[in-house]
Amino acid sequence: MRIFTWVVLFLLPVIGFAQGSIGSLTGDETVFYAQTKQMNQFFLRFNGEEDVKGKRYYSGDPGYRDVKVRKKFLNILFDNSSPNVNSDSKFVFIDEALNKRNPSFLDFYSKGWFAEVTTSFMYKKEKVNLILYLKIEKQLNGYKWVISNVYFDRFESWFTHLNDTANLKYFIHPMSHELDFMNLHKVFKEPETLDYYFEKEYQPDMTALFVMEIKNGNLSFVSVNNVKFHVFQVQNWYFEISYFNRNDVNSGWLISNLLRLNDKDKKDLMRHYTHLN
Amino acid sequence: MRKLLSLIMMVCLFAVANRVVAQDSLSPQRKQAIDSLALEKVRDLSKYISIIGDKTTPWSDAQRVIERAAELFMENSEIGVSSLGKQDVNYYKVREYFDRLMQLNYDKVTIDWYKIQYVSDLVRQPDGTYVGIITIYQRFQAFDKEKGLVYEDTTKKDITVYVKRKETQIGGRLINFWDVMLGDIRVKETSK
Repeated sequence: MRIFTWVVLFLLPVIGFAQGSIGSLTGDETVFYAQTKQMNQFFLRFNGEEDVKGKRYYSGDPGYRDVKVRKKFLNILFDNSSPNVNSDSKFVFIDEALNKRNPSFLDFYSKGWFAEVTTSFMYKKEKVNLILYLKIEKQLNGYKWVISNVYFDRFESWFTHLNDTANLKYFIHPMSHELDFMNLHKVFKEPETLDYYFEKEYQPDMTALFVMEIKNGNLSFVSVNNVKFHVFQVQNWYFEISYFNRNDVNSGWLISNLLRLNDKDKKDLMRHYTHLN
Repeated sequence: MRKLLSLIMMVCLFAVANRVVAQDSLSPQRKQAIDSLALEKVRDLSKYISIIGDKTTPWSDAQRVIERAAELFMENSEIGVSSLGKQDVNYYKVREYFDRLMQLNYDKVTIDWYKIQYVSDLVRQPDGTYVGIITIYQRFQAFDKEKGLVYEDTTKKDITVYVKRKETQIGGRLINFWDVMLGDIRVKETSK
């Protein structure tokens, strides 16, 4: 409630002074002003690099990365309804992010964050969901999003027997070489058991399968359904950012999950989220 | 007249921003000048959308406005539309979107724009063009002669803005300027 009051009080003067605006509709725009409208705005609010009206602060400007303003902004960058955001953790996170000696800032151009995009595709005449992972990559003096990984449960289901140490039935016996591997044809008779025969370190390349299925005409894009971001840029912390589309000042791009993690746990979590084994 | 104004604005923008020497980074002052030009284009677009959607606009006038509106966009730009309770996004070519808007089957349509706008930073692409997003909000109301207001929504429009450095000759002098074009638009219905 305190946060809500702060937001409304902080933002109300803005409504009267909006300059050079697009329209003339004089409805209540409090929600739109408070809403974190773009990921760009999430970064700028997190870093204290814009004012309450959305006016950009640059290095050297008074107010640039001001701790007091940052503290207020950080408080409104959390989804208040999320069960995955513990209020104690939030308090500690904000305190650590604003640490005077070693404050944390987010950098759009740096590593340590990526997008998880849930999409729908047609797969052999059936509508399916597929997750694409994208990250920012530098090329020449510019930047672009690139696909870094793909998750599709059908691809996963082809490899359920990998490294199955309990399997005592499906293997190529150790003297097969003396027979010019004449028994190899048995391996391919039952396609569903094929993945028993791979080396234990084998990691299927889901992105390669994705490319193959698209190029063979088996997969065709339908739509993007949902986007969220995973951020690992703050020391000892991980957080997830999702879009909350609701008629509330606590809306837009907000932190929907927050975890305190050491570096090893961060790596494990990144692998978990990107479905890397 | 509009084109002349745009050209004057572009040249002024150049004058404000820097002189002749090619420089790739955008200073805050230049960014601000480019934002003004981009917002001018978005303002034009919002005006055109209101005219196209207006049922009192004669068909031939609406067609002319659609032409004008389409000129604001880069080739192959699309508009991705989603509504509440529907997971998929429908993608339309710009012209197709305007045609659909013109043909909406209501007796009266009003399209209003909220005052708020949000302009992102500009990020450089590998080809040297800068790209940014302008967010605006629109209220749409559709009326039936007998039933009155039959449909209403508020949508958030995230509009891509491309900013490219170009050259032109004015009075024998080579002038560099920043050209602004609109790109893909994501239209998202906001919660009621």
